[in-house]
Formats: sequence, C-alpha cells, structure tokens
Amino acid sequence: MKLVDVMSAAGLSIYAIVALVLFMTAFVAIVIRTFAPSQASQHEYDARLPLSDDDQAPAQAGRGVTRG
Amino acid sequence: MSTRVDTFAYDDAIVRKFLWATFIWGLVGFLVGLLIALQLANPVFNFGLEFLSFGRLRPLHTNAVIFAFAGNAIFTGIYYSTQRLLKARMFSDGLSNFHFWGWQAIIVAAALTLPLGFTQAKEYAELEWPIDLAIAVVWVAFAINFVGTMVKRRERHIYVAIWFYIASIVTVAVLHIFNNLSVPAGPLKSYSLYAGVQDAFMQWWYGHNAVAFFLTTPFLGLMYYFMPKAAERPVFSYKLSILHFWTIVFLYIWAGPHHLHYTALPDWASTLGMLFSVMLWMPSWGGMINGLLTLRGAWNKVAEEPVLKFFVVAVTAYGMSTFEGPMLSVKSVNSLAHYTDWIIAHVHTGALGWNGFLTFGMIYWLAPRLFQAPLFSKKLAEVHFWIATFGILLYVASIYSAGITQGLMWRAFDETGRLAYPDFVETVMKLMPMYWVRVAGGSLYILGMLIFGYNILKTWMARPATYEVPLVTAAPLGAQAPEPHAAPAGGLVASFTSVKWHRRWEGAPVFFMVMVVVAVVVASLAEIIPTFLIKSNVPTIASVKPYTPLELAGRDIYIKEGCFNCHSQMVRPLRHETERWGEYSKPGEFVYDHPFLWGSRRIGPDLARLGGKYPDLWHVRHMEDPRSVVQRSIMPPYAHLQRKALDFDQIQSRVDAMVMLGVPYGDAVTNAPAMAREQAQAIAAGIESQGGPAGLADREIVALVAYLQRLGRDVRQLPATASAAPAAAVAPGGGK
Repeated sequence: MKLVDVMSAAGLSIYAIVALVLFMTAFVAIVIRTFAPSQASQHEYDARLPLSDDDQAPAQAGRGVTRG
Repeated sequence: MSTRVDTFAYDDAIVRKFLWATFIWGLVGFLVGLLIALQLANPVFNFGLEFLSFGRLRPLHTNAVIFAFAGNAIFTGIYYSTQRLLKARMFSDGLSNFHFWGWQAIIVAAALTLPLGFTQAKEYAELEWPIDLAIAVVWVAFAINFVGTMVKRRERHIYVAIWFYIASIVTVAVLHIFNNLSVPAGPLKSYSLYAGVQDAFMQWWYGHNAVAFFLTTPFLGLMYYFMPKAAERPVFSYKLSILHFWTIVFLYIWAGPHHLHYTALPDWASTLGMLFSVMLWMPSWGGMINGLLTLRGAWNKVAEEPVLKFFVVAVTAYGMSTFEGPMLSVKSVNSLAHYTDWIIAHVHTGALGWNGFLTFGMIYWLAPRLFQAPLFSKKLAEVHFWIATFGILLYVASIYSAGITQGLMWRAFDETGRLAYPDFVETVMKLMPMYWVRVAGGSLYILGMLIFGYNILKTWMARPATYEVPLVTAAPLGAQAPEPHAAPAGGLVASFTSVKWHRRWEGAPVFFMVMVVVAVVVASLAEIIPTFLIKSNVPTIASVKPYTPLELAGRDIYIKEGCFNCHSQMVRPLRHETERWGEYSKPGEFVYDHPFLWGSRRIGPDLARLGGKYPDLWHVRHMEDPRSVVQRSIMPPYAHLQRKALDFDQIQSRVDAMVMLGVPYGDAVTNAPAMAREQAQAIAAGIESQGGPAGLADREIVALVAYLQRLGRDVRQLPATASAAPAAAVAPGGGK
C-alpha cells in the first residue's frame, strides 16, 4: 500500500476546517490586540521611529552647484 | 539605570554600492525589455541569432528587472533603513559585502546562462541548479546579517517596516528552495522534482509569491520608511500598518493557483486561490490608503518635491494593480484574460509604477544624503517624473487593449457557430499597432531612466573628497531602563492586550521569524500537499507513456529555446478552446512532464494537440524560416537546429535523471542513445522521402520534430511511433 492510498483513505478534510479555525482565531486575536486602547501610546511611539534620527540632506545650493 | 552609551557609525558605503547596482542593472533590464518588445512588433529584431531570440531573452528581461533591478533597490533601502531603525551598524561588514558581490555575481551568471539557453523552464526560477545553490548561500548570508543586526540593536521597538523585511527574507528563502528542488542531469541541466500538475502548482505558488514577497512586501517596508521620511510626518495609521502586515502574510501565500484557472489543476485549488486573491484586495487598499493619507496636510509639498510625486504615483499604481489582481483572479474574468497581454499590462502597472517609481523616489531622496551633496537638479527629476509617467500610460493603455482585443477574438464565434477568427495569426496581426505604441512607451520610460542616471551621476560627482561619517550615540538594550508598563489589570483580555508579553516576543526576533515561517509553510502545505497525496486530484491515464529518449532530447531543445515563453500546452475546457485546439487537457497527461510546460502566454498557438497535425517536413521548413510556411508569423527563425549536431551520448544521463525521478523507462535505462539514433534515422528518412533536406539524422531538428509530433498523441491514442506522422495529410497552405 502506497502513501498515496493511505492518505486518500484517511479522510483528512477535517484538518482543513481545523486549520481555518486556528488561522482565523490567530488573526482575530491580532486585530483585538491592535485596537486595544492600551496599545495607543505604543503605536504613537513606534510610528515616530523613522523620524527619530537626524538625516537632513545637504542644503539645496542651487542647480549644478558643487560642494566639497 | 546605567549610563553606558555606545558610539558607532552606520555603514553607508554598502548602501551606495547597492544604489549603483540598482541603476546599472535596471538600465540593462529595461533595454532587454525594449528589445523583446521590438521583436514582437517585428521578428527582424531577432537578428536570426539564437542567443538573441525572444525565447532566450524574455527570461533575461524578467530576471533582470525582478532580481537585479528591484532586488538591488530593495537591498539599497533595507541597508539604509534597517541600520537607522535599529540604531545599529549592520552585524557584519564582511557579510554585507559578501551579499553585495555574491548577488552581482549571480546576476552576471544569469545574464550569461539565460541567452545560452540554460534554463529550468519555470518562470522567474529559470536559473539552473548551481546558480540556485549560490542564491541560497547568498540569501542565507543576508539573513544572518539581518538577524545579527536585530540581535545587537539599540532600539527595543521594531518598526513595521522591519516586519515586512523579515517576512520577505524568510518567505523568499522557503519559496526559492521548494520550487527549485530538482535532479541534476549535468553541470547546467536539471529536471524538476515535480511533474505536471504538481509542478505547475508548485511553480505558481512560487511565482505569485515571488510577486508578493519580492515585489510587494519589501517595497511596502520601504514605503513605510521612506514615505514618512519624505513627508516628514509619521504614517497615517500605525494600527492599519500592523493589520496590513498580518493580513498580507496570512492571505498572500494562498493566492498562487489563480494563475492556473481552467487548467488541469483541480477545481478546488483554483477556487481557493481565487477566494484568497479577492480577499487580498482589502489589505492592499488599506495599505494604499495608509500610504496616501500619510501625506495629509502635506499635499502642497507634493507640488514642489519630485520625491513625493514619485511616491504618490507608486502608491497609486500599487492600488491599481492590487485592484486589478483580485479582479483577474475571478475565474470568469480570467477566462478572457489568461494567456493574453492583459496579464503583461497588469504586471507592468505594478513593475513600472509601483516598483520603479518607489525606487526612483527613494533614490532621489537618498542620493543627496549618501553622496553628501545636494541633488544636481530638481528640475531634471521633474522631467524624469513626467516622461516616465507618460511612458507608463502609453505602455499599459496599448497593452491592455492588445490583451482584451486578442482575448475577445479568440472566443468570438460567427453566426453559424464557428470560430470567427480560426486563423491564429490573424489575432496576432491585430496587435501590431499596439505593440508599436508599447515600444514608444517603453522607450520613454528608458529615456527617463537615462535622465535619472545623469542626475544621480552629477550629484555623485559633487561629492566631498572623503565622505563624512557621522557618529551616532545610543545606549545598548541591556543598559536601557526597563519600560514602565501599565498596571497589571485582571482578566484575560487585559493581560493579552498588555505590553509585557509582546516585549518578550519582540526581544526574540528569531521567534518572530519562526512564527512567520509557520504561517507561510502551514498554509502552503495545506494547499499543495493534496495534489501529491490525494489520488483523485491527478487521475492516471493508461495510454500516457514516457517520452522516448529522442523525444526527451527534443523536449530539452524546446526548453532551451524557451518555446514555452510563447506557446502554451494547455487546452482549457472552454468551447472556443476545444474548437480551436482539440480535446481539453487532462491532469493525467502530464505525469512524466518534469518540468511542466503549460506556459502562461499565447503569443503563438497552443501546442498541446500539435502531434500529427502537420507532416515532419512542415516542421523542418517552419523552424528554418517560419514565414516561408506561415506568411505573417512573428516567430523567430531556428535555422541553427538544422546545423547543430545532436549530442546523442548526453541522452543517457538525461534518461538516468528521469529514472531517478521515477519515470519508468524500461529498455532506455541502458540503451537510450541507440534507441534515439534509431528513431532519428527513421524520422530523417521520412523527411527526405517527403522531399526535404537529407542528412538530418544527427541534427537537433529531428529530436525537436520527434517531440512536437508526440504532443497530445498519447491521450488521443494515435499510433505511438513518431515517424508515423501523417505524410499524406499535408496542411493546406500553412494556415493554422
């Protein structure tokens, strides 16, 4: 008996439902957490992370003007 | 609280290297694209050279723009932003440089092997096995470097852009490894481990996720970093960006089967792919809106800042192509669009608009900072923007109409119920004006690229004699004060939504990576495994037998020349298809097809039922000079196949590899070259007796003819000997 025969006869379709429930639950948990009020200040802080360092471009000295 | 503070500098030299590589390979990739666009408009641009024919160059174009242009652009942005977001220099300068040079070496290897015809015949995974191994090694080095940087970071919080990078890095690794599993049959030749339906499924699981995790998620990470930078304000909604991330990770991995609607793929898989693709619309538009609304209150800046102009069009193009993608994945829409230029238009909205413009915007923003000189000319950047935008519009408008025109012509019936356009070449000729408009649009885009290059070059020339290396100070994580967290409230929900456990997870980037891998792998397995292990998914057909050694050699030539880039081998169960091509294709027909050759675009006719349709001599003449047989054909000539000697000795190693894959080869296991010679002589004699050239028995063309005459024969139970091609049934006047 080959693996294919075993798998075909095993009636595995229930696992698809189980997986669906697990994935859905995980996703709903993520959504709840994301919108929890306790997270708000955290998100505010995180959102500013890209702006936290100072990397100004050299001043636009005008077209074609070289520097250095 | 400790007062320990580290002083360090970011590695910008590596970012500059990737920036230049982005430009150079981008230009190469675009120029190859222009050449193949010209070849479709007029076959004279194939120059009669095998190395420059469409079938060889099309993979070079796609690989160059995806992995060389977009790839280097991603690395440019990742190396710049990751160091700054994590407040740490890259883990190892050695690994950074190994990544850079390794990646460029791979690109060079691709640029050499693809025109020479070394290919695995799987779209965007054409590169042969030694190069695949090199890609895996370089990618792992990149991953180690990235994780190492996360471990030694000095910013506890991990910004959402980094999440997108992580998901991209781990998923691309998984995709690359599984789709490229193959059995080598020589130094630059291999056969896919999977066959037929399974191979197609694996390929498009890979193919679609290459779009998702190479052209979408890393660029979203770049968007979430560089858009706020350029707009000088945080992203519109951080919550939305988190949902954007998780929804995309959960959904994208399932969407692949929409590339195989109405093929021999099981219907359930196709439906599953469609549903997940439609669901993807939501996060994609959530992300687009999040990007655009980041500019709230800053729209006046868009008018004066070319960087923002590029970003606005990029994000809009993301929205357009992610609206269109779900729409095209709906089966009824797909039945019209599949195999047509509509798909080409769709990917170019994404590639030219989203990937291209995000890259240009990012580099215009980066160049002054990296080269420590003001941008040479804002005005030229504006000119670039308008020329390239106009180029995209010309490109997509013409190719959309080409796609829809051809799709409608294929399915049109006249009032007597017969095909309105039975001659396939007629549906191709109709596209010619649109193909020329595409050439114009693409040329404008390239003109913009040249202006861009000039601008960046002039900026670079104004750089200081030595770059200033600013020092950064930050406390290491261990020396930072523990964060104050909210008073522990009671209840399950409260403790779940508290900060504490999330901190622990965030402190373990490896754990986060493992979770992403689990989400991706579990979803992939649930979708793909059944076609391997559930019998009813691929019912076998008793009359389907392995290819003879000569036919196998012919199939390798078909692969080498890239015939699958223009010819499908998949008749869909739609009335106009069965009228035009014959019996629809069944899963059991492909069980010995390592790799599958269903194709994704019909620039020429479908070949699934070609065997026995024309005499051998027709094929010889047609391959030598297509237009001598089909007057208006745009196929490149393959005269070299009549000149080049067939390597009979090599055939045994090919058969051996197939045997390793479980193909029942019987006598051919020990005797393949002799069997091939015998069949070749019979075919060559037949060609000569039909009035064709003599002495073809040891040439490549006989192997190809043997293969083409075999196509679709088994399932129709026609006589199996290839020399039994119906010499009497001469096709009328070369019509299709």
